[in-house]
Amino acid sequence: MTPPVLVLGELAGDRVVPATLEAIGVARSLVGDPADVVVLLAGGRARAAAEALTAFLGGTVRVRDEPSLDGAPAAAFAPVASATADLVGARWVVVGGTTFGRDLTGRLAARWNALAANGVTEATRDGDALRVRRPVFGGRATETLRLGGERAVVSIRPHAFPPASGPAGPARIEAAPAVEIPAPLLAARRKSVEPLATGRGPGLTDASIVVSGGRGLRTPENFRLVEELAESLGAAVGASRAVTDAGWRPASLQVGQTGRAVSPQLYIAVGISGAIQHLVGMVSSRVIVAINSDASAPIFKVADYGIVGDLFQVVPALTAEIRRVRGA
Amino acid sequence: MEIVVCVRPVPEAETRLRVRADGRALDPDGVKFVLAGYDESAVEQALLLKESVPGSRVHAVALGPPPRTEEVLRAAIALGADAATWIDAGPEVLDDPIATARALAEAIRGAPHDLVLCGKQSGDREAGLVGPALGELLGIPDFGAVVELRFDPAAGRLTFRRPTEAGQELWEAPLPCLIGLQQAWNDPRTAKLPAILRSRKAPIAKIVAPPVSAPTAAAERFELPAPRAGAKMIEFSSPQEAAEKLVRLLREEAKVFP
Repeated sequence: MTPPVLVLGELAGDRVVPATLEAIGVARSLVGDPADVVVLLAGGRARAAAEALTAFLGGTVRVRDEPSLDGAPAAAFAPVASATADLVGARWVVVGGTTFGRDLTGRLAARWNALAANGVTEATRDGDALRVRRPVFGGRATETLRLGGERAVVSIRPHAFPPASGPAGPARIEAAPAVEIPAPLLAARRKSVEPLATGRGPGLTDASIVVSGGRGLRTPENFRLVEELAESLGAAVGASRAVTDAGWRPASLQVGQTGRAVSPQLYIAVGISGAIQHLVGMVSSRVIVAINSDASAPIFKVADYGIVGDLFQVVPALTAEIRRVRGA
Repeated sequence: MEIVVCVRPVPEAETRLRVRADGRALDPDGVKFVLAGYDESAVEQALLLKESVPGSRVHAVALGPPPRTEEVLRAAIALGADAATWIDAGPEVLDDPIATARALAEAIRGAPHDLVLCGKQSGDREAGLVGPALGELLGIPDFGAVVELRFDPAAGRLTFRRPTEAGQELWEAPLPCLIGLQQAWNDPRTAKLPAILRSRKAPIAKIVAPPVSAPTAAAERFELPAPRAGAKMIEFSSPQEAAEKLVRLLREEAKVFP
């Protein structure tokens, strides 16, 4: 009999976000019986979210219907999370690797003086301890930590684990503790959320596929080739520093040392030579494709698949082929 | 406004990483440690606020061993920080984010702090734990991954944006609070030579970190990736053939989409 593992859910209205399903999957892998995973949902529509969640996953959900937590900082969730872990006797807490989840991980670790790790790509049980692996130095190295002690808190790297599927025992919805949330933690408010600059596609750091373009596209108009390829794949659009510095596309799309670090399942670099500045932002992607006219470009050293050719011919052909196989 | 900015020396971006002989950590031998990345953006943000809100002061705080910790504080002073505190600490505190946050909280609690700034994570281990933990210990909310931070003196409130998985979030927060900054969105300034020379003589308050009481996470392994074998180059006689071959490989060999 192992102690239950607590998953801290994140809500978007009356649904949990995809990262929460990934966290539930990891928590289940850490317990003998998947019914030993307890999910905490707190927010204005927590009960509706709990009903939707248990309808297809089963298992135990603790609910705190608390409208003041909608649009509140992660800090305000920490007292509820802490009291719930005490109530159910959880030693380990798993959170999805979102900005919310990472903030909450540090808050709880400080509250408990516990060991913690953000953005883990592996989590396994080692007797009484939790062993985790995580990329460091922008994906240029990996560290393995053994989290012993009374309690441990981890957030998982987005897309590193499959979402939980299949029911874990009968559905049970119970109340989370009605512990008080200090007023100063509720004073900050999220006023709005707009879709990211790319508009349609997923956010750059959250996408499972990223298509990036570089100087090889020659003009801002030609960047449309990259956007069309991304659209055919349901991918996010990224750019090299040359592109954002030239003002072809906004700086928010920049991948690299001075932009975003991404680690999607698939990264397609179009007309990007592969300066170290760019490579540190994408080298931890699972599969890398490079399309470039220069066979000696450094991008081919980190790529898994390379096409040396005229991107103005190859990229439209690739977009057409993907639309064809996807039947769109 | 009293602004505290927490900084940490990290290896230069171009550093070639090597593994320590015991295989558990980065080998720091011969590595040049600098003020960089996320923390550079935090210092820049502190200076922008100081310039826009009359009567503000910037207090830089860093934790770590000599001489690198003192050097990053002098770099912050050269950029425009008004005061600096060095928390002298060895690896048992430096390598433990929660112990680091405790030592920082102890130093900051007794000093004026309307706003605490730090990088959303360090540029080396990227733990992302010190900011939230410090917020918890100081009893103030924290916000990671922030860009475009502004202060409205009339309302006494901060407004800021942050790109998250949900989209571009817009927030309002009263002081005091802790902000973890996204990297390099604000184009950090570089120090001028006279300021660099002056910073060498600036006073730096020194305190010694309290001993660690919590268990530390045992770092078991530090690994560098095996060099990639190089790309499998796709041979083709037409763009259509290249596209078909690539899609087949991505589906059947790499299995990245159905």
